[in-house]
Amino acid sequence: MFYRLSGVYHSSLISDSRMFKVPADRNLAVFLLLIGLAAPFILPSLYLNSYILPWLIWTAAALGLNLVTGWAGQLHLGYAAVMAVGAYSAIHTVRLGVPWEIALIIGGLAASVIGSLFAFAALRVKGLYLALTTLAMQFVMDWVLTHSPTISGGSHASLQAPTLALLGQQITSDAGYYYVALGWCVLVTIFMLNLKRTGLGRALVAVREKDFAAAILGVNSFYYKILAFAASSFIAGVSGALLVATFYFLAAPEQFSVNVSIQVLAMVIVGGLGSIIGSYFGVALILLVPGLVNGLVVTASEELGMQVNVETLAHIPNAVYGALIVIILMIEPLGLGKLYGNIRDYLMTWPFDQLRK
Amino acid sequence: MDWVFLSELAINGALTGLLYSLFAIGLVLVYKASSVPNLAQGGLTMVGAYVVLALARDLGMPLWLAIPLAAVVMFGLGFGIERVALRRLAGRPVVMILMLTLGLDIFLRGTTLAISGGTSRSMELGVSYEPLLLGDIFISRIHLVGAGVALALFVAFIVFFRTRTGIKLRAIADDYMASWSVGISVERGVGLSWALASVVAVAAGVIWGEIQGVDQALSLLLLKGLTVAVLGGLDSILGAIVAGIILGVIENVGAEFLDPLVGGGSRELIVAAVLILTVMIRPHGLFGRHDIERV
Amino acid sequence: MQEKAQGQSILSMNSIEVLYDNVMLAIKGVSVQVPKGGMVALLGSNGAGKSTTLKAISGLLKAERGHISRGEIKFDGTDITEMLAQKRVEMGICHVIEGRRVFEHLTPDENLTAAAPMGMSRSELSVQKDKIYDYFPRLAERRNSQAGYLSGGEQQMLAIGRALVTQPSLLMLDEPSLGLAPFLVAEIFGILQKINREEGLSVLLVEQNALAALEIVSEGYLIENGRVVMHGTAEALKSNSDIQEFYLGGGEGTNFHNVKHYSRRKRWLS
Repeated sequence: MFYRLSGVYHSSLISDSRMFKVPADRNLAVFLLLIGLAAPFILPSLYLNSYILPWLIWTAAALGLNLVTGWAGQLHLGYAAVMAVGAYSAIHTVRLGVPWEIALIIGGLAASVIGSLFAFAALRVKGLYLALTTLAMQFVMDWVLTHSPTISGGSHASLQAPTLALLGQQITSDAGYYYVALGWCVLVTIFMLNLKRTGLGRALVAVREKDFAAAILGVNSFYYKILAFAASSFIAGVSGALLVATFYFLAAPEQFSVNVSIQVLAMVIVGGLGSIIGSYFGVALILLVPGLVNGLVVTASEELGMQVNVETLAHIPNAVYGALIVIILMIEPLGLGKLYGNIRDYLMTWPFDQLRK
Repeated sequence: MDWVFLSELAINGALTGLLYSLFAIGLVLVYKASSVPNLAQGGLTMVGAYVVLALARDLGMPLWLAIPLAAVVMFGLGFGIERVALRRLAGRPVVMILMLTLGLDIFLRGTTLAISGGTSRSMELGVSYEPLLLGDIFISRIHLVGAGVALALFVAFIVFFRTRTGIKLRAIADDYMASWSVGISVERGVGLSWALASVVAVAAGVIWGEIQGVDQALSLLLLKGLTVAVLGGLDSILGAIVAGIILGVIENVGAEFLDPLVGGGSRELIVAAVLILTVMIRPHGLFGRHDIERV
Repeated sequence: MQEKAQGQSILSMNSIEVLYDNVMLAIKGVSVQVPKGGMVALLGSNGAGKSTTLKAISGLLKAERGHISRGEIKFDGTDITEMLAQKRVEMGICHVIEGRRVFEHLTPDENLTAAAPMGMSRSELSVQKDKIYDYFPRLAERRNSQAGYLSGGEQQMLAIGRALVTQPSLLMLDEPSLGLAPFLVAEIFGILQKINREEGLSVLLVEQNALAALEIVSEGYLIENGRVVMHGTAEALKSNSDIQEFYLGGGEGTNFHNVKHYSRRKRWLS
């Protein structure tokens, strides 16, 4: 009913490999994009910039990690370190007087170079051991950041980000920041949607499923692993830089610590490995729900006249965040993307599927 | 370089290392019995210490009663973790189980702190702070106690894995399906391994709580514990002990030389470097099992 | 007639349907009877549903997200359709799964210990072990080496021995001959026959090697596309012309026309 398949016949490979196979999907995407464009006129800027904007940028970042973990199947627990490389390189480049457009690309490239180092670990080990190696590399990067004053200004210091300017326009308004984030997120999403349809995407999936079997088919798994890490690190780098430029305004090593790496991985896995729409859901859940629950607890305790300890309130979001990961994995190990897929498949034939039974 | 000073560094390093082993045994137990990484051991250690404190301070029990009782509580918690969460993911890819244990870790930490608050509390085991003098070398008494506990657990678990139950646990780690086929209760086995790891967490929590205070920082032992576990071979208890000593010595001696060069704080760097090098050079560690590939 | 058959069979499986992942119908109403102390073979090609049938009996379906959606399985008169795998082993059903999955990092001796029921006493266990080493002298020689490094034949023997430790009254074997040299297959089948004779152990054997299987069993079922398409004594099956042509490789050689002809007939059969 909602997703009508009737009348959709793919009679050629070209039409069958279109980005949206079902017109309803395309219509929905266009509709959501229009809402996204109109959001600054609808939503108060408080919501826009403290919830929607970080959601968009983290989604872009999570999609980058999904590329390497979901598509290429390589566990990565050092993603935040790669984002940090992008953020710091971009800011330092801008401080040297280079325009932001170029600085963002330089940030992305620098992240790519460092991120490819992680790939060399992936050439040697996989699974749990890769996760541990990347985790250790994250610690090394953390250490380098906090211990080199030239990069971060030393430990407990933060670096002021210069005002964002793109295409000769200084961006200072809330709506401006929002559109930058939206633009980047849409760009990454389109890239990922297209990746599915290319030989590169298929090669990555082949490497994920069985790297030596892929090698027998002539897929050079070394090359594709490095490519996956480089591409995902580029996305990470730019996302990191934009996060600082439009949201934090200051860069500090704690923003890219190991906990953040775990958080991005949680977003990807809770969203569903290899699922694009899932990453949107995963980020929303991990980023926003703990805060919402905390808000609810505060309101509830005020309503009921109960005194809740300040410390308790401070730690509830963390407990909720951990519980969310566990619960979603228990309900559906393939994540929210899979749950969405199930609902979509159900609606695809609704209500006629029910008539048959 | 002064030899006495160097050996003092080495001996104290080895003792601290055995305390890392104490933590790492929890990781090894779970891996050895289910081939699953237990990244929640940091959270469990923290919970273990808080449960002891809750029993001793809030309910006024003496420590000799509070610690065993906490071990019983944690034993139950370990079984509960398997029953509620891990059972549903048995046989799923390692990514998901890894994430699940990370989620558990975050949840356990968050919940504990939400209940007990974040201020650091002290364990007060009653072990004297007066260092022990061995020749010219100063040795901390609590470290010695902790090392003794680690070695005792080591012996206990070596014996345990030779019993019929222990052999069944190792069989589960080898092949879930084959274990089911001969009537081994995989669920109960995995639950038992988590329960034992939780008991080990009480020991680690008490000792480390005495050394550095009971607070959030207890869960930060995870990186060191992981490094020890991987260096020793993820499924080798002997490995955990030997690797603990090695890591402790490398860290203590190395930091002495490196700290002046890099301006302090080189311990984490050394640990991370050992972890990376181990995985790159010898992923199965010093005593870990090789995966047998037959064609 | 039906009643009499029920009384004699240790296992009776009635029109079982198995669904994987709630969607894939793997077997569609299979009924199999195993007489007490008898040896029965399930024959059929790849993906016909033989292994699924065994897993339905042993309760291992759950591990692969499958479940029995229709029918019932009775073992010694007790309904076991919904029983846990572990309980079924305690009742006396043991399943030697496909692919010789021994516990690679344990020694053969420890493999046997791991399979021992918790209630079995130490002396009883050592009696059982000695008996198994008597059946398989090759295992006795290598009892303390690592099981992962045993040869394929030795691993298969260990897998069977490990199942015997659970003291089953029904032993189910999934493709025990897979990838083994013919003389080893003969040796293992000989031992199976011996155990069957000496201890009255009922055996349900899944095989692609129909020739070898029909030599030792008394009756056989032919499964195709998740259905039983033929059932009879070993003699009757051996002399059936279709079986000869398509499973025993006899006759004037297979050609495509015949295969098509057979497929058509098969559809009519089911």
